[in-house]
Amino acid sequence: MARILGGIGTSHVPTIGGAYDRNKQNDPDWAPLFKGYEPVKTWLAERKPDVLVFFYNDHATTFFFDHYPTFALGVSAQYAIADEGLGPRAVPPLKGHTGLARHMADALVNDEFDISVFQDLPIDHGVHSPLTLFWPPSPDWPGKIVPIEINVLQHPIPTPARCWKLGQAVRRAVLSYPENLKVVIVGTGGLSHQMNGERAGFNNEKWDRKFLDLIARDPKKLAAMRHADYIRLGGTEGAEEIMWLAMRGALSPRAKKIHQNYYLPMTTAMAVALFEEPDAKPALKKKARPGRDARPSFRTRAARAGIQR
Amino acid sequence: MNPQLKGIETLEGTYLFDLATSAKALRLNRFLHGFTVPGNRALFKENPDAAFAGAGLSAEERRMVRELDWAALIRYGASFFCLEKLGRVKGISNPEMVAGFRGESLDQFLKTRRVPGAR
Repeated sequence: MARILGGIGTSHVPTIGGAYDRNKQNDPDWAPLFKGYEPVKTWLAERKPDVLVFFYNDHATTFFFDHYPTFALGVSAQYAIADEGLGPRAVPPLKGHTGLARHMADALVNDEFDISVFQDLPIDHGVHSPLTLFWPPSPDWPGKIVPIEINVLQHPIPTPARCWKLGQAVRRAVLSYPENLKVVIVGTGGLSHQMNGERAGFNNEKWDRKFLDLIARDPKKLAAMRHADYIRLGGTEGAEEIMWLAMRGALSPRAKKIHQNYYLPMTTAMAVALFEEPDAKPALKKKARPGRDARPSFRTRAARAGIQR
Repeated sequence: MNPQLKGIETLEGTYLFDLATSAKALRLNRFLHGFTVPGNRALFKENPDAAFAGAGLSAEERRMVRELDWAALIRYGASFFCLEKLGRVKGISNPEMVAGFRGESLDQFLKTRRVPGAR
Protein backbone atom coordinates (compact mmCIF):
# COMPACT_ATOMS: atom_id res chain seq x y z
CA MET A 1 0.00 0.00 0.00
CA ALA A 2 1.07 3.58 -0.57
CA ARG A 3 2.45 5.41 2.47
CA ILE A 4 2.68 9.11 3.27
CA LEU A 5 6.10 9.97 4.67
CA GLY A 6 5.42 13.61 5.46
CA GLY A 7 4.65 16.99 4.01
CA ILE A 8 6.26 20.21 2.83
CA GLY A 9 4.79 23.69 2.90
CA THR A 10 6.63 26.17 0.70
CA SER A 11 6.29 29.54 -0.98
CA HIS A 12 6.33 29.45 -4.76
CA VAL A 13 7.43 32.95 -5.75
CA PRO A 14 8.74 32.84 -9.34
CA THR A 15 11.96 34.57 -8.28
CA ILE A 16 12.84 31.45 -6.22
CA GLY A 17 13.10 29.49 -9.47
CA GLY A 18 14.78 32.46 -11.13
CA ALA A 19 17.43 32.62 -8.41
CA TYR A 20 18.08 28.87 -8.90
CA ASP A 21 18.32 29.28 -12.67
CA ARG A 22 20.79 32.15 -12.25
CA ASN A 23 22.92 30.14 -9.74
CA LYS A 24 22.40 32.60 -6.88
CA GLN A 25 23.02 29.96 -4.18
CA ASN A 26 25.98 31.86 -2.72
CA ASP A 27 24.74 35.39 -3.40
CA PRO A 28 24.35 37.03 0.04
CA ASP A 29 20.87 38.28 -0.95
CA TRP A 30 19.70 34.73 -1.74
CA ALA A 31 21.82 32.43 0.44
CA PRO A 32 19.39 32.61 3.42
CA LEU A 33 16.67 31.27 1.12
CA PHE A 34 18.71 28.41 -0.33
CA LYS A 35 20.12 27.41 3.08
CA GLY A 36 16.57 27.11 4.36
CA TYR A 37 15.80 24.44 1.76
CA GLU A 38 18.91 22.33 2.42
CA PRO A 39 17.38 20.23 5.25
CA VAL A 40 14.33 19.56 3.05
CA LYS A 41 16.57 18.51 0.16
CA THR A 42 18.56 16.21 2.46
CA TRP A 43 15.40 14.70 3.97
CA LEU A 44 14.01 13.91 0.50
CA ALA A 45 17.36 12.53 -0.69
CA GLU A 46 17.36 10.17 2.31
CA ARG A 47 13.69 9.12 2.25
CA LYS A 48 13.59 8.81 -1.55
CA PRO A 49 9.84 9.27 -2.10
CA ASP A 50 8.45 7.93 -5.37
CA VAL A 51 5.81 10.64 -5.75
CA LEU A 52 5.22 14.19 -4.57
CA VAL A 53 1.53 15.13 -4.51
CA PHE A 54 1.28 18.90 -5.01
CA PHE A 55 -1.46 21.26 -3.89
CA TYR A 56 -0.62 24.40 -5.85
CA ASN A 57 -2.24 27.26 -7.69
CA ASP A 58 -2.01 28.11 -11.33
CA HIS A 59 -1.39 31.79 -12.18
CA ALA A 60 -3.70 32.26 -15.18
CA THR A 61 -1.16 30.31 -17.19
CA THR A 62 -2.47 26.78 -17.73
CA PHE A 63 -6.03 27.93 -17.19
CA PHE A 64 -7.83 31.14 -18.13
CA PHE A 65 -10.94 32.82 -16.73
CA ASP A 66 -13.14 31.41 -19.49
CA HIS A 67 -13.09 28.28 -17.32
CA TYR A 68 -11.13 28.53 -14.11
CA PRO A 69 -11.26 25.24 -12.18
CA THR A 70 -11.84 25.36 -8.43
CA PHE A 71 -9.99 22.05 -7.97
CA ALA A 72 -8.30 20.15 -10.82
CA LEU A 73 -6.25 16.96 -10.65
CA GLY A 74 -3.50 16.32 -13.19
CA VAL A 75 -3.51 12.76 -14.60
CA SER A 76 -0.77 13.00 -17.28
CA ALA A 77 2.45 11.02 -17.59
CA GLN A 78 4.24 14.27 -18.42
CA TYR A 79 3.71 18.02 -18.00
CA ALA A 80 5.60 20.55 -20.08
CA ILE A 81 7.11 23.55 -18.28
CA ALA A 82 4.72 26.40 -19.04
CA ASP A 83 5.70 29.51 -20.98
CA GLU A 84 4.81 32.45 -18.72
CA GLY A 85 5.95 35.15 -21.11
CA LEU A 86 9.67 34.52 -21.31
CA GLY A 87 9.70 31.01 -22.75
CA PRO A 88 9.81 27.95 -20.50
CA ARG A 89 12.50 27.53 -17.82
CA ALA A 90 15.36 25.27 -18.87
CA VAL A 91 14.36 22.35 -16.66
CA PRO A 92 13.03 18.97 -17.86
CA PRO A 93 9.29 18.35 -18.25
CA LEU A 94 7.65 17.19 -15.00
CA LYS A 95 6.89 13.48 -14.80
CA GLY A 96 3.43 12.46 -13.64
CA HIS A 97 2.46 9.23 -11.86
CA THR A 98 -0.56 8.17 -13.90
CA GLY A 99 -1.38 5.10 -11.80
CA LEU A 100 -1.70 7.04 -8.57
CA ALA A 101 -3.37 10.02 -10.26
CA ARG A 102 -6.08 7.91 -11.92
CA HIS A 103 -6.66 6.06 -8.67
CA MET A 104 -6.95 9.38 -6.84
CA ALA A 105 -9.53 10.59 -9.37
CA ASP A 106 -11.60 7.43 -8.78
CA ALA A 107 -11.17 7.61 -5.03
CA LEU A 108 -11.96 11.32 -4.71
CA VAL A 109 -15.07 11.18 -6.89
CA ASN A 110 -16.37 8.12 -5.04
CA ASP A 111 -15.64 9.96 -1.80
CA GLU A 112 -18.01 12.70 -3.08
CA PHE A 113 -15.14 15.07 -3.91
CA ASP A 114 -16.07 15.67 -7.56
CA ILE A 115 -12.74 16.97 -8.76
CA SER A 116 -12.14 17.90 -12.41
CA VAL A 117 -9.14 16.40 -14.17
CA PHE A 118 -6.65 17.75 -16.70
CA GLN A 119 -4.01 16.18 -18.92
CA ASP A 120 -1.50 17.20 -21.56
CA LEU A 121 -1.23 20.75 -20.23
CA PRO A 122 1.85 22.71 -19.18
CA ILE A 123 2.38 23.65 -15.51
CA ASP A 124 3.69 26.97 -14.21
CA HIS A 125 5.91 28.14 -11.34
CA GLY A 126 3.26 27.23 -8.76
CA VAL A 127 4.81 23.74 -8.82
CA HIS A 128 8.31 24.01 -10.18
CA SER A 129 9.78 27.24 -8.76
CA PRO A 130 10.27 25.77 -5.26
CA LEU A 131 10.70 22.20 -6.56
CA THR A 132 14.14 22.91 -8.02
CA LEU A 133 15.39 23.95 -4.56
CA PHE A 134 14.52 20.71 -2.77
CA TRP A 135 14.22 18.08 -5.55
CA PRO A 136 16.61 19.37 -8.21
CA PRO A 137 16.76 17.70 -11.62
CA SER A 138 20.20 16.18 -12.03
CA PRO A 139 19.80 15.75 -14.88
CA ASP A 140 16.19 14.53 -14.63
CA TRP A 141 13.68 14.86 -11.76
CA PRO A 142 14.27 12.30 -9.00
CA GLY A 143 10.65 11.07 -9.14
CA LYS A 144 7.10 11.74 -10.24
CA ILE A 145 4.40 14.16 -9.22
CA VAL A 146 0.62 14.34 -9.00
CA PRO A 147 -0.51 17.99 -9.25
CA ILE A 148 -3.74 19.29 -7.73
CA GLU A 149 -4.61 22.84 -8.78
CA ILE A 150 -6.63 25.07 -6.43
CA ASN A 151 -8.20 28.33 -7.60
CA VAL A 152 -7.01 31.25 -5.48
CA LEU A 153 -7.21 33.84 -8.28
CA GLN A 154 -10.87 34.38 -9.00
CA HIS A 155 -13.33 34.70 -6.11
CA PRO A 156 -15.27 32.74 -4.96
CA ILE A 157 -12.28 30.55 -4.15
CA PRO A 158 -12.70 27.40 -2.05
CA THR A 159 -12.95 27.98 1.69
CA PRO A 160 -10.08 27.13 4.02
CA ALA A 161 -12.31 24.47 5.60
CA ARG A 162 -12.94 22.89 2.20
CA CYS A 163 -9.23 22.78 1.42
CA TRP A 164 -8.63 21.08 4.76
CA LYS A 165 -11.26 18.46 3.85
CA LEU A 166 -9.73 18.06 0.37
CA GLY A 167 -6.46 17.26 2.09
CA GLN A 168 -8.18 14.62 4.23
CA ALA A 169 -9.83 13.08 1.15
CA VAL A 170 -6.48 13.05 -0.68
CA ARG A 171 -4.99 11.22 2.31
CA ARG A 172 -7.68 8.53 2.06
CA ALA A 173 -7.13 8.32 -1.71
CA VAL A 174 -3.35 7.93 -1.44
CA LEU A 175 -3.47 5.41 1.41
CA SER A 176 -5.92 3.21 -0.52
CA TYR A 177 -3.57 2.88 -3.51
CA PRO A 178 -2.48 -0.78 -3.65
CA GLU A 179 1.06 -0.29 -4.95
CA ASN A 180 3.93 0.17 -2.49
CA LEU A 181 4.71 3.83 -3.04
CA LYS A 182 6.37 6.37 -0.80
CA VAL A 183 4.49 9.65 -1.07
CA VAL A 184 5.19 13.15 0.23
CA ILE A 185 2.51 15.86 0.18
CA VAL A 186 3.48 19.40 -0.83
CA GLY A 187 1.45 22.59 -0.44
CA THR A 188 2.80 25.69 -2.20
CA GLY A 189 2.01 29.39 -1.87
CA GLY A 190 2.16 32.37 0.52
CA LEU A 191 3.07 33.52 2.94
CA SER A 192 2.01 37.16 3.35
CA HIS A 193 1.99 39.23 0.17
CA GLN A 194 -0.30 41.41 -1.90
CA MET A 195 0.18 42.06 -5.60
CA ASN A 196 -2.51 44.65 -6.37
CA GLY A 197 -3.54 48.18 -5.44
CA GLU A 198 -1.93 50.74 -3.19
CA ARG A 199 -1.71 48.07 -0.48
CA ALA A 200 0.63 46.04 -2.74
CA GLY A 201 3.86 45.13 -1.00
CA PHE A 202 1.98 44.44 2.23
CA ASN A 203 3.62 41.89 4.55
CA ASN A 204 2.95 40.77 8.11
CA GLU A 205 5.77 38.81 9.68
CA LYS A 206 3.93 38.49 12.99
CA TRP A 207 1.02 36.75 11.28
CA ASP A 208 3.36 34.62 9.13
CA ARG A 209 5.09 33.34 12.28
CA LYS A 210 1.75 32.61 13.89
CA PHE A 211 0.59 30.76 10.77
CA LEU A 212 3.76 28.64 10.80
CA ASP A 213 3.02 27.77 14.41
CA LEU A 214 -0.69 27.01 13.92
CA ILE A 215 -0.25 24.94 10.74
CA ALA A 216 1.68 22.44 12.87
CA ARG A 217 0.00 22.79 16.27
CA ASP A 218 -3.62 23.72 15.61
CA PRO A 219 -4.49 23.59 11.88
CA LYS A 220 -8.21 23.36 12.66
CA LYS A 221 -8.03 26.94 13.89
CA LEU A 222 -6.69 27.97 10.48
CA ALA A 223 -9.40 25.94 8.72
CA ALA A 224 -12.09 27.80 10.67
CA MET A 225 -10.89 31.23 9.49
CA ARG A 226 -12.55 33.10 6.61
CA HIS A 227 -10.82 34.44 3.51
CA ALA A 228 -11.44 37.98 4.75
CA ASP A 229 -9.27 37.12 7.76
CA TYR A 230 -6.47 35.73 5.58
CA ILE A 231 -6.57 38.78 3.30
CA ARG A 232 -6.59 41.27 6.18
CA LEU A 233 -3.72 39.47 7.94
CA GLY A 234 -1.66 38.26 4.99
CA GLY A 235 -2.69 40.33 1.94
CA THR A 236 -4.86 39.28 -1.01
CA GLU A 237 -2.31 36.70 -2.15
CA GLY A 238 -1.92 35.45 1.42
CA ALA A 239 -5.03 33.44 0.47
CA GLU A 240 -2.54 31.01 -1.09
CA GLU A 241 -1.99 29.67 2.42
CA ILE A 242 -5.01 27.39 1.89
CA MET A 243 -2.68 25.12 -0.11
CA TRP A 244 -0.66 24.58 3.06
CA LEU A 245 -3.90 23.73 4.83
CA ALA A 246 -4.74 21.08 2.22
CA MET A 247 -1.25 19.62 2.64
CA ARG A 248 -1.63 19.56 6.43
CA GLY A 249 -5.06 17.92 6.09
CA ALA A 250 -3.43 15.08 4.17
CA LEU A 251 -1.06 14.35 7.06
CA SER A 252 -1.89 12.46 10.22
CA PRO A 253 -2.51 14.27 13.52
CA ARG A 254 0.83 12.87 14.68
CA ALA A 255 2.91 14.51 11.94
CA LYS A 256 5.53 16.81 13.41
CA LYS A 257 7.19 19.90 12.02
CA ILE A 258 10.92 19.18 12.05
CA HIS A 259 12.23 22.22 10.17
CA GLN A 260 11.21 25.66 9.01
CA ASN A 261 12.80 28.69 7.39
CA TYR A 262 11.47 32.21 6.92
CA TYR A 263 12.91 34.89 4.66
CA LEU A 264 11.25 38.16 3.70
CA PRO A 265 13.56 39.96 1.28
CA MET A 266 11.24 41.78 -1.13
CA THR A 267 7.46 41.56 -1.70
CA THR A 268 6.66 38.01 -0.56
CA ALA A 269 7.43 36.18 2.65
CA MET A 270 9.31 33.07 1.50
CA ALA A 271 8.80 30.23 3.94
CA VAL A 272 9.36 26.50 3.94
CA ALA A 273 8.30 23.96 6.57
CA LEU A 274 8.94 20.23 6.69
CA PHE A 275 6.59 17.79 8.43
CA GLU A 276 7.42 14.18 9.20
CA GLU A 277 5.11 11.29 10.00
CA PRO A 278 6.22 9.24 13.01
CA ASP A 279 6.30 5.98 11.02
CA ALA A 280 8.38 7.53 8.24
CA LYS A 281 11.57 6.13 9.69
CA PRO A 282 14.60 7.35 7.84
CA ALA A 283 16.34 4.94 5.53
CA LEU A 284 19.57 6.25 7.01
CA LYS A 285 20.21 7.12 10.64
CA LYS A 286 21.20 10.68 9.85
CA LYS A 287 18.32 13.03 10.59
CA ALA A 288 17.44 16.23 8.82
CA ARG A 289 19.38 19.04 10.38
CA PRO A 290 17.20 21.75 11.87
CA GLY A 291 17.65 25.03 10.04
CA ARG A 292 18.78 28.15 11.75
CA ASP A 293 15.20 29.28 12.00
CA ALA A 294 13.83 26.08 13.53
CA ARG A 295 12.95 26.36 17.19
CA PRO A 296 14.04 23.17 18.95
CA SER A 297 11.34 23.48 21.61
CA PHE A 298 8.65 23.40 18.96
CA ARG A 299 8.83 19.67 18.39
CA THR A 300 8.20 19.03 22.04
CA ARG A 301 5.31 21.49 22.16
CA ALA A 302 3.71 20.02 19.03
CA ALA A 303 3.98 16.51 20.46
CA ARG A 304 2.43 17.66 23.74
CA ALA A 305 -0.40 19.39 21.89
CA GLY A 306 -1.21 16.03 20.27
CA ILE A 307 -2.57 17.66 17.15
CA GLN A 308 -6.16 16.56 16.73
CA ARG A 309 -8.29 16.80 13.64
CA MET B 1 -22.19 38.89 -1.18
CA ASN B 2 -19.70 36.10 -0.57
CA PRO B 3 -19.78 35.62 3.25
CA GLN B 4 -16.11 34.60 3.15
CA LEU B 5 -15.24 38.14 2.05
CA LYS B 6 -17.44 40.17 4.37
CA GLY B 7 -15.42 43.02 5.85
CA ILE B 8 -12.94 43.15 2.99
CA GLU B 9 -14.46 46.38 1.67
CA THR B 10 -12.88 48.29 4.56
CA LEU B 11 -9.36 47.43 3.33
CA GLU B 12 -7.97 50.38 1.41
CA GLY B 13 -5.91 49.97 -1.75
CA THR B 14 -7.17 46.44 -2.36
CA TYR B 15 -8.81 45.30 -5.59
CA LEU B 16 -10.30 41.86 -5.27
CA PHE B 17 -10.57 39.82 -8.45
CA ASP B 18 -14.10 38.44 -8.38
CA LEU B 19 -16.60 37.38 -11.04
CA ALA B 20 -17.83 40.93 -11.71
CA THR B 21 -14.27 42.17 -12.24
CA SER B 22 -13.40 39.10 -14.28
CA ALA B 23 -16.37 39.65 -16.60
CA LYS B 24 -15.64 43.35 -17.00
CA ALA B 25 -12.00 42.84 -17.96
CA LEU B 26 -12.25 39.47 -19.72
CA ARG B 27 -11.17 40.80 -23.13
CA LEU B 28 -8.15 42.61 -21.70
CA ASN B 29 -7.11 39.65 -19.55
CA ARG B 30 -7.47 37.28 -22.50
CA PHE B 31 -5.14 39.54 -24.48
CA LEU B 32 -2.58 39.55 -21.63
CA HIS B 33 -2.88 35.79 -21.11
CA GLY B 34 -2.10 35.45 -24.83
CA PHE B 35 1.51 36.44 -24.08
CA THR B 36 2.08 32.81 -23.08
CA VAL B 37 2.18 32.16 -26.86
CA PRO B 38 5.43 33.27 -28.60
CA GLY B 39 3.62 34.37 -31.78
CA ASN B 40 1.44 36.80 -29.83
CA ARG B 41 4.50 38.27 -28.12
CA ALA B 42 6.23 38.73 -31.46
CA LEU B 43 3.23 40.50 -32.97
CA PHE B 44 2.88 42.78 -29.92
CA LYS B 45 6.56 43.74 -30.12
CA GLU B 46 6.53 44.35 -33.87
CA ASN B 47 3.13 45.91 -34.32
CA PRO B 48 1.26 46.67 -31.09
CA ASP B 49 -1.64 48.32 -32.92
CA ALA B 50 -2.26 45.16 -34.93
CA ALA B 51 -2.12 43.10 -31.73
CA PHE B 52 -4.58 45.49 -30.01
CA ALA B 53 -6.91 45.43 -33.00
CA GLY B 54 -6.81 41.65 -33.21
CA ALA B 55 -7.85 41.41 -29.56
CA GLY B 56 -10.54 44.09 -30.01
CA LEU B 57 -9.18 46.26 -27.19
CA SER B 58 -10.87 49.58 -26.47
CA ALA B 59 -9.00 52.88 -26.75
CA GLU B 60 -8.63 53.07 -22.97
CA GLU B 61 -7.39 49.47 -22.76
CA ARG B 62 -4.83 50.20 -25.46
CA ARG B 63 -3.63 53.33 -23.68
CA MET B 64 -3.15 51.56 -20.34
CA VAL B 65 -1.20 48.70 -21.94
CA ARG B 66 0.89 51.00 -24.16
CA GLU B 67 1.81 53.30 -21.25
CA LEU B 68 2.21 50.40 -18.78
CA ASP B 69 -0.12 52.29 -16.43
CA TRP B 70 -0.01 49.55 -13.78
CA ALA B 71 -2.20 51.36 -11.24
CA ALA B 72 -4.93 52.04 -13.80
CA LEU B 73 -4.75 48.50 -15.19
CA ILE B 74 -5.35 46.98 -11.75
CA ARG B 75 -8.21 49.41 -11.00
CA TYR B 76 -9.74 48.53 -14.36
CA GLY B 77 -9.79 44.84 -13.54
CA ALA B 78 -6.63 43.35 -15.02
CA SER B 79 -5.53 40.26 -13.10
CA PHE B 80 -2.08 40.73 -11.61
CA PHE B 81 -1.19 37.29 -12.94
CA CYS B 82 -2.05 38.33 -16.49
CA LEU B 83 -0.19 41.62 -16.03
CA GLU B 84 2.81 39.58 -14.90
CA LYS B 85 3.04 38.22 -18.46
CA LEU B 86 3.02 41.76 -19.88
CA GLY B 87 5.77 42.58 -17.39
CA ARG B 88 7.90 39.70 -18.66
CA VAL B 89 7.37 40.72 -22.31
CA LYS B 90 8.40 44.32 -21.51
CA GLY B 91 11.30 43.29 -19.24
CA ILE B 92 9.68 44.82 -16.16
CA SER B 93 10.19 43.09 -12.80
CA ASN B 94 7.42 42.41 -10.26
CA PRO B 95 8.87 44.90 -7.74
CA GLU B 96 8.65 47.60 -10.42
CA MET B 97 5.02 46.70 -11.08
CA VAL B 98 4.27 46.75 -7.35
CA ALA B 99 5.89 50.18 -7.13
CA GLY B 100 3.54 51.26 -9.92
CA PHE B 101 0.48 50.01 -8.01
CA ARG B 102 1.63 52.03 -4.99
CA GLY B 103 2.24 55.16 -7.04
CA GLU B 104 5.97 55.03 -6.28
CA SER B 105 9.14 54.85 -8.31
CA LEU B 106 11.09 51.58 -8.16
CA ASP B 107 13.80 53.28 -6.06
CA GLN B 108 11.23 54.59 -3.58
CA PHE B 109 9.70 51.15 -3.25
CA LEU B 110 13.03 49.35 -2.84
CA LYS B 111 13.85 51.65 0.10
CA THR B 112 10.93 50.04 1.94
CA ARG B 113 12.28 46.51 1.40
CA ARG B 114 14.64 44.49 3.60
CA VAL B 115 16.86 43.11 0.78
CA PRO B 116 16.54 45.46 -2.20
CA GLY B 117 18.98 43.35 -4.24
CA ALA B 118 16.85 40.19 -4.12
CA ARG B 119 15.22 40.67 -7.50
